[in-house]
Amino acid sequence: MSTTMKIENLQAKIGDKQILKGLNLELEPGKVHAIMGPNGAGKSTLSKAIVGHYDIEILGGDITYKGKSILEMEAEERALEGVFLSFQHPVEIPGVNNAYFLRTALNAKLKHEGKDELNAAEFLREMKKHLEMLGMKSDMISRSLNEGFSGGEKKRNEILQMLILEPEVIILDEIDSGLDIDALRAVSEGINKMKDGKRTFLVITHYSRILDYIEPDYIHVLKDGKVIKTAGPELVPYLEEHGYDGIEED
Amino acid sequence: MNLSNLKNADAKEVAKLLNSSGREAFVQRFATLGLPHKKTEEYHYFDVDKILNKEYKTLEYVPKTIAEGDKVKIVDGIVVTAPQGLRINYETCKQLDIMHFDPLYFVGHLLSHRIIKIEIDGDTDIEIEHHFTKSDTLIHYRIVLSTQANRHATVHESFVSKDISNTLVLYGYDIHVAQDSTLRLVKLQTMKDAQYSMVASHKINVARNAHMMLKSFDFGGDQALQLLKVELAEHAHIDAGHLLYLNEDSKRGTVSQIIHQGEYSTSKQEAKNILDGQARGIFDALIRVEHSAKFTKAEQNAKSILLHEKAYMVSKPQLEIYIDELEASHGATTGQLDEKQLFYLQSRGISHLEARKILVIAFANTLIEQVKDTRAQERIKTAFEEVFYASNTNEG
Ligand SMILES: Nc1ncnc2c1ncn2[C@@H]1O[C@H](COP(=O)(O)OP(=O)(O)OP(=O)(O)O)[C@@H](O)[C@H]1O
Ligand SMILES: [Mg+2]
Repeated sequence: MSTTMKIENLQAKIGDKQILKGLNLELEPGKVHAIMGPNGAGKSTLSKAIVGHYDIEILGGDITYKGKSILEMEAEERALEGVFLSFQHPVEIPGVNNAYFLRTALNAKLKHEGKDELNAAEFLREMKKHLEMLGMKSDMISRSLNEGFSGGEKKRNEILQMLILEPEVIILDEIDSGLDIDALRAVSEGINKMKDGKRTFLVITHYSRILDYIEPDYIHVLKDGKVIKTAGPELVPYLEEHGYDGIEED
Repeated sequence: MNLSNLKNADAKEVAKLLNSSGREAFVQRFATLGLPHKKTEEYHYFDVDKILNKEYKTLEYVPKTIAEGDKVKIVDGIVVTAPQGLRINYETCKQLDIMHFDPLYFVGHLLSHRIIKIEIDGDTDIEIEHHFTKSDTLIHYRIVLSTQANRHATVHESFVSKDISNTLVLYGYDIHVAQDSTLRLVKLQTMKDAQYSMVASHKINVARNAHMMLKSFDFGGDQALQLLKVELAEHAHIDAGHLLYLNEDSKRGTVSQIIHQGEYSTSKQEAKNILDGQARGIFDALIRVEHSAKFTKAEQNAKSILLHEKAYMVSKPQLEIYIDELEASHGATTGQLDEKQLFYLQSRGISHLEARKILVIAFANTLIEQVKDTRAQERIKTAFEEVFYASNTNEG
């Protein structure tokens, strides 16, 4: 089995509290991994640890991506290398124009890859098709980044960033929370569009609904800072019915 | 000349030192106020002793024939070019504000026997470019600027200096915004390399129903202080905005008094300060509402971001109110860049430096974008970026 990202015995704390307690997880290229688990289990903490969030202090273990440890890499380097997190709670940044932000991010990536950067007009042309697919009004990108966006609009804007940046490891932290039915469909369509047999997805969710759309290959159950079970999609209906209490550790 | 000789001087000595016979009242007022020093309230946070206590060369101010040019170019206190049709004269100053709070306002006037009088008599945009070309010199001049009733004018002000050092510039405007007219004054000043220090001391009279918009953009290092005294007649309005972006060990800022004299006058003053390095920013701003100024509105706000632990902001918004038929608000906050916002940008592959720049610009933009002229706006943004990159390139 080949691996895109490998998380080994990861232990991490936030403040004084240890949240990840020896977590192991392997992400395979081209596969969709879903993570489910109770509130407070450490799902968001794991996703933040992968992208190098300042809140998280790594106590032990390792995260390797394409065979190299990324723990020492800055957040922006990880992003440039193709790791992307759609945040559970995207932050609002008043005064920063969304289109300008998106273009700056894309150009940082193009530059990193030694490609030509896009000017504002070229960028807007690129943008159009994504906006249409996500059902986003064009004024969404002329506004300040996430400022005053509804919950669903923020999530769509995260997916828009994913579509633009074309990352290789895509972590979606509760992308489906708070979405109406149309938004869920649009967002899932965006995600499916990125599936190319090479990109890897880590989808954190509480609901089976999004999994119906994006068809995961693996379900991992994260509980009390560890992955306690890995199975196929057949685990979802079981969890829906019995909850997390009855899950036996692998 | 060494201005520190004026310290503790009586009126007679002042008149002699400044060679200003025939202006006894002004001399007397200055002698009463005394030369500013460390303990003078308005100059308390500004290293005024350092710039006054120095031997400076002085210049002869001989007016030249003014050539036609696209802007008003003032070189070392002498007007060199001006756009066609703009009325500029040298005169003795008659409309000095004898009650101005700033001692250096009087020094500037007493030293400058003739003022540069600019009468803006149409709906125009003019540029005033100040050039300083002499080292170790005290450059002083005063400008009287007036609009005509019902006219709307814009003045863009900028500063140019090259290869000089240790000069002190004392200058300032006496501005008369005529009834029912508008004057927008946009000042952009980037300073670096200790070429010159500056004390700019202004007096602005806003007549009945007139509007003054004053936007100052002060970037970079060195020492400069702008002192403003604004008087508002009935239904007069001032909209003042000050953006400071300072680095190194710069000490710069604004000391102002906005005085509501007439009924229904309104004022809005907003300061945004971004301090890097060991810079010290100053915003010491008083709004005073006099008995005569019922039904006024006054709004004052200062926000500061410290980019470095050694940076320091002196933020003193103050309201002094003698009546209760008014609406007034003021506040000041100081903080750092938002960590969450920085991280969000970095998590999209934007470098730490670029992310800082984006957030700092976002903070500054609300003020920069109040300058409606897009060319001027671009110029300010570019000037800002140059200074920002100059002091931030070494960082990861
Ligand atoms: N900044 C923080 N300071 C202190 N504790 C934190 C912080 N962030 C998270 N925690 C704690 O860490 C634990 C794990 O949080 P995390 O957000 O990873 O849970 P989660 O599995 O994503 O839960 P949910 O399903 O509710 O999103 C929780 O107990 C939470 O309170
Ligand atoms: Mg979570």
